[in-house]
Amino acid sequence: MIARAVPQPAPSADEMLLKIVGLSKVYKGGGPPVHAVRGVSLSLEPGQFVAVMGPSGSGKSSLLHMLGGLEPPTTGQIWFDGARVDGLSQARWAMLRRRNIGFVFQFFNLVSNMTVADNVELPALMSGATRRQAKERRIELLAELGLSDKASASPARLSGGEQQRVALARALANRPSLLLADEPTGNLDSLNSADVLRVLCRVHGQGQTIILVTHDARAASMADRVVNLFDGMIIDDMDVVTPIRPSVAAAGVLRLGE
Amino acid sequence: MRLPLLALLAKEPAHGYELKSLLEQTFGQAYPSPNIGQIYVTLQRLERDGLVKSQDVIQTTRPNKRVYELTPAGREALAAWIEEPSEGPRVRDDFFVKLALSPLAGVTDQMALINRQRRHYLNLMRGLSKLASATDRDSRISLLLIEGAMLHLQADLDWLERCQEELM
Amino acid sequence: MRAALRWIRSDLRARPFQVAVEMLVVGGVLTALLLSVTVLEGATNPWAGLFAQSRGAQIWMRLAPGTKVSGLRQIGGVTAIAGPYSTTAATIVQGPLQSAVELRAMTPAMPQIGRLLVRQGSWLAPSAPGGVVLEASFAQAIHCRVGSELVINGIDGPTAKVRVIGIAATSDQGFYPDQTPGLAWVQLPLLRRIEPIARHTEEVVGIRIANSADTSFVAQQAVAELTGAVRSVSTWTQVEQSMARGDPLLGLLLALFGLVALGGAVLVIASATGGRVLVQLEELATLKTLGFTPGQITAMVVAEHAGVGLAGASLGVVATRYLTVPLLHGIPASIVPAVVPLPATWIVLMACSAEFLVVLAAAFPGWRAGRVSAVVAVRRPLPAGHLSQLARVVMLSRFPPAIVLGARAAFIRRLPAALTIGGLAMSMAVITIGLGVASTVDDVQRHPANIGLAAALTVSPGELSQAQAGAIVSGDRQVLSAYPSVQVNALLATGTTTITTLGLGTSARPYPFHVAQGSLYHAPGQAVASQGLLDLLHLKVGELVPMQINGVPVIFRIVGRIVEPEYSGQVLAYGLDTLSQAGVVSPPVYYSLVLRPGVTVSAARRHLLAVSGGRLDVTEVNDPASQLGIIRPMLAGLIAVLALVGLVSVLTASSVGIRDQLRDVGALRAIGLTPRQVMVSMVSSTTALAVIAIATGATAGFMVSTRLINLGAQVYGIGSGIGRPPSAPAMAAAILIAAAGATLTAILPARRVVATPVATMLGP
Ligand SMILES: Nc1ncnc2c1ncn2[C@@H]1O[C@H](COP(=O)(O)OP(=O)(O)O)[C@@H](O)[C@H]1O
Ligand SMILES: [Mg+2]
Repeated sequence: MIARAVPQPAPSADEMLLKIVGLSKVYKGGGPPVHAVRGVSLSLEPGQFVAVMGPSGSGKSSLLHMLGGLEPPTTGQIWFDGARVDGLSQARWAMLRRRNIGFVFQFFNLVSNMTVADNVELPALMSGATRRQAKERRIELLAELGLSDKASASPARLSGGEQQRVALARALANRPSLLLADEPTGNLDSLNSADVLRVLCRVHGQGQTIILVTHDARAASMADRVVNLFDGMIIDDMDVVTPIRPSVAAAGVLRLGE
Repeated sequence: MRLPLLALLAKEPAHGYELKSLLEQTFGQAYPSPNIGQIYVTLQRLERDGLVKSQDVIQTTRPNKRVYELTPAGREALAAWIEEPSEGPRVRDDFFVKLALSPLAGVTDQMALINRQRRHYLNLMRGLSKLASATDRDSRISLLLIEGAMLHLQADLDWLERCQEELM
Repeated sequence: MRAALRWIRSDLRARPFQVAVEMLVVGGVLTALLLSVTVLEGATNPWAGLFAQSRGAQIWMRLAPGTKVSGLRQIGGVTAIAGPYSTTAATIVQGPLQSAVELRAMTPAMPQIGRLLVRQGSWLAPSAPGGVVLEASFAQAIHCRVGSELVINGIDGPTAKVRVIGIAATSDQGFYPDQTPGLAWVQLPLLRRIEPIARHTEEVVGIRIANSADTSFVAQQAVAELTGAVRSVSTWTQVEQSMARGDPLLGLLLALFGLVALGGAVLVIASATGGRVLVQLEELATLKTLGFTPGQITAMVVAEHAGVGLAGASLGVVATRYLTVPLLHGIPASIVPAVVPLPATWIVLMACSAEFLVVLAAAFPGWRAGRVSAVVAVRRPLPAGHLSQLARVVMLSRFPPAIVLGARAAFIRRLPAALTIGGLAMSMAVITIGLGVASTVDDVQRHPANIGLAAALTVSPGELSQAQAGAIVSGDRQVLSAYPSVQVNALLATGTTTITTLGLGTSARPYPFHVAQGSLYHAPGQAVASQGLLDLLHLKVGELVPMQINGVPVIFRIVGRIVEPEYSGQVLAYGLDTLSQAGVVSPPVYYSLVLRPGVTVSAARRHLLAVSGGRLDVTEVNDPASQLGIIRPMLAGLIAVLALVGLVSVLTASSVGIRDQLRDVGALRAIGLTPRQVMVSMVSSTTALAVIAIATGATAGFMVSTRLINLGAQVYGIGSGIGRPPSAPAMAAAILIAAAGATLTAILPARRVVATPVATMLGP
C-alpha cells in the first residue's frame, strides 16, 4: 500500500487533509425539516484515523456523505487538500472521489453483475489505468486481503466479511488520500468484523487517512481519535490512548469468580 | 478461588506451584493470576473442610513438596458447583450512581461526566484490543476472556449512550 | 471509458434473454421497415432498382440491320454499349389468345451492361436452344410459368414450339401491357428460324452513360452519329414513367405499419431502458460513489442500449439482405413488378435512423439514471405503496391472498406500471386494428362488390359488332349480368378540370355499386360519385354538378357516394340513358360483366374467348383486392413485432416487480406462504398489469379500428364504408394468447425467485 510520510506533530492549517467549517445539513421535503447535521467543524491531518460515533440518527452518515460529496451541505465549507470543494458540481465531485476518496458502506454495495476482480479493477480503469495496470493492482490488493482465490467469483457467492473486504479493496484501489467508511462492520458477525478491522488497522499503519463511522466501540478504539456526534453536533472529540497496563483492563471489566 | 483449584485437582494430584502455573496457562495474561501465598492459604482451608487431602513427597535433590489430591467430598462439592447455574452478571456500577446523584451533588454538566466515562471506556477498549492482538491465537480461553471483557465494555458504552439520550 | 465498457459488458452478460429480445425488436422493426420500403419502392418506382441491378442502359435505339455501332463509344459521357441484339416482332399463340411479342436474340453469356435479372428458372443456355426467357410482367399477363409450352408465330408464317425456361426482369422497357409488345429473349438460331429474312429484323443497342442527366444530349449525338440508321429511340425517363404508379392503399398501409412499428420500437427501448435503470438504481448510485460522473452514467446507459440497438440494426440489415428476395418472391408482379433490394445507402440510412431512434428512446431513462442520487446506494428507501383504486377493488373482492398481494405489488411503482400498461395496451390496440384490417381485407376479397368491383371482366367488342358482343356476353351461362359501359372524360363547367366519368348500366338497371351514402342513380341526370371526386370538387351528396361531355352540357345531381378504389377514387358514374337523353354521341360501349358466384375469372375469360373465336377483347378487371393479399404477411410481421414489444414490456415489469418484491417475498415465505403461493403472487402482479393493458388496448383498438380504416380510405379517395370490425374469434384468440403469453413470460423470472432459498432473500 502507500508508504506515506508519517505526519508531523501539530501541522499547520495548510497541512490539513480535510477541514470542515460550520457544516450543516437540513433535509426538507415532506414533513418538517430535519436538521441532521448542525454546524460541525473538524480538521483532519493526513494519516489520521478518526472514528465517528453517536446514536443512530445523530447525523453520522449525513456528515460522511457530505464529506464524500454524495450530498451537498446546506451550509458550511469543506476544504480538501487546501482547496474548497463544497460548491463543486456533481461531476467535479465524482472526479475528486475517483482519485482521492474511497468509500465503504454497511451493505458492501458491490456491483452484483461483475466478478470480484472486475469490481476491484473498476476504479483503476475509471481513472485511466490500462487494463494491465488495473489487473496488477487488483491482484496485489486481493492477495493482501486474502481473497486471491475469489477473483472470478460473483459477489453473491461470498460471505459478508469477504464481500466487505472486496469493497475495501475496491475503495483502496486508487490509493485514495481519504477512506470514508460508514459502519463497515455494522452488518457482520464478530469474526468477520475483526477481519475487516484488521485490514483497516493495517492500511492505517501504512499511512492511510481514514474516517470511520461506527457503532462498534471495538472498531472505534482502533482509531487515533474518536468524534462523538449527538443530534447533529459534536459533543466530544477525544484522542484515544492505550492504558499503561492493558492486562489490568480485562480484570477491571470482567471479574472471575467471587 | 476455591472451586477453580478443586477443578484443577480433579484431573490429577498437584502441588501448589503446579496449580499456579496451570492457572496462568489457562487464563493467560488477560487475568492477573493469584500469588503462591494465596494459593497455599486456600489449599489449607480446603484441607480443613475435608475437600482435599495432602501428602508429603520426599525429593532427594530438593526440599520435600506437598501434593494435594481431591477427596470424595471434594469431588461432590466440585460437581455441585459445576451443575448449579451461575448467578447473572454483577455490574457494580459506580458510575451510574455518580450520574444519578450528580445533580444532588451540584454537578451541572452531566455531559462532561458521560464524556469522561466514555473516554475511559474507549481507552480501556483500546487496551483490550492491544492485548488481544498481543495474545497468542492458540490460547483460546484467554482470547475468550478478552472478548467477554470487550463485549461488556460495548454494553457499558451502549448504556452510556442510552443515558445520554435520556438525560440530555 | 474502460470502466464503463467493463460495466456494460457485465450488465449485458447478466441478462442475455432481455438483450436478445431487445435486439430482436430493433432488428425486426428495421427488417419490417426495410421490407415495406422495398415493396413500396418496388411497387411505385421499380425502375431505379431494376436499372441499378441490371447495370442498365439509359438510352435504347432501334437500328436498321447491320448498322455499325462502334462510333457510339466515342461520344462523350458514354461508358458502355449493350448489344446490338437482333430483334424481330412475332406473336405468341395460346389457344385462341394471341399476344404480340418482340423476340430479342441474346447469348447464354449474360452481358455486363443491360443484364437481365432472372427471377425464376434460368437464363438462355446452349443446352436449351429452343428455350425462351420471358419478361416478368409479360409472363404474368399471359399466364406463363417456367416450363410452359408456347407457340410463336413469325410475321411471315414460320412457327416454332418453344418452352419457357426462365422469367426475367429488365429496366429496358416498361411493364406489359403499358408497353407493348411483350419482350422475350431467345438465342439467335431460334430467332432466325422464326424470322429467316434478315431484312425484317432490327438491331437494338443500349447506351449506358455516366450521368443520367445527359441523356437527351447524348441521345441527340447518337442519332447524329448513326444518321439514317436509327428507327427509334427510347430513354429511361419514358421507362421510369411507364413503370411508376401510385398505389395509395398499399402506401397507406405501409406508412401506417411502419409508423406503428417504429413507435413500438421506441416504446420498447424506452421501457426496457427505463425498467433496467430502475432495477439498477442502487448499482448506478454505487458507481457514482466510485467516481462516475452523472454524464458518464447517462452516456454509459445510452451506450449500452445503443450498442444493443446497433447489433439489432445490423441483424435487421443482414436479415433484410437475405430475406428480401425469398420473402417478397411470392408477391404477384402485378403489385410489385420488381422486388429489388434497396440500395445500400438507403439501408444504411434507415439503419442509422433506427439507431438514432434507439438512442433517442434511451436518452430519457439514461438522463434519469445520471441524476440518481449517489445516496440511494446507502440509504435504501422502498417506494411507499400507493394503493391504486383498482388494487383496492381487487383487495376488497374475495380473491386468494396470494393474488391480492401480487396485484398490490404491481402498483407500488407507478411510472413503470404505467409504462408497462402503455406498451402492452398500445401493442394490443394496434393488433386489434390489424385484425380489423385483416377482416376488412377478407370482406373485400370475398365481396369485391362492396368496394365497387362487382364486375370481374370487361369485354370490348373487338373485331365483332357491338350487338354481336352484347349477344354473346348476355347469353353466356357464366355471366350473371352484363352492363353496357362507357368511359368518357368530362370537362367541368369551370373549364379547367377534367374528370373521368363512367356510364354504367341504365337508370332502370344501374350497375351494382356499393353505395356508402345516399342511393344509386335511378333516373336520367342522377349520378353517384366517389369520395375522392367529392373532395376534389368540394361537393356533397345531393348537390348539382354541371359539366360538358363531348362538348354537350350535362347537369348531374349527385344522389349517392360510392366506394371506388380505381381512378384514384375520383370518378362519377351514371346510367347510359343520361347520355342519350342529353344528346351526347355515345362513345364506344364495352360490357362490364358480373359473374355468377363460383365462376373463376380466368375460366369465364377463356370461355368467352372460345365462344367468340378469340375476336372479343376480354380483360380482367384490375382487382385491388388481390393486391391486398400482401397485407396478410405484412400483418403477420407487424403482429410479431408488436408481440415482441409486449414481451419486452412484460419482462421489464416482472423484473422491476421482482426487485421490489424480493424482500417481501422472503418474509412471506418465512411466515408460511408456500412456494406455489409465492409464485402465484409474483405472477399475478405482472398479470394484473397485463390484464388491464390488454383490456384497455383491445377496447381502444376495437373502438377506433373501423373508423381508422374508413378514415384512411376516405383520405385516399376510396371513400369511407369499407372498414369492418375485427372478427370475434380472432379477437378472442388474440386476447387469450396475449394474456397467456404475459402470464407465461412472468412465470419465468418468478420461478427463479421461488427456487432461491428463503435465507438469501432475507439477507442484505
Ligand atoms: N434523505 C433524507 N431525508 C430526510 N431525512 C433524512 C434523510 N437522510 C437522513 N435523514 C434524517 O437525518 C437524520 C440523520 O440521519 P443519519 O445521518 O443517517 O444518521 P446516522 O447515520 O447517524 O444514523 C435522521 O433523523 C434521519 O432520519
Ligand atoms: Mg448511518
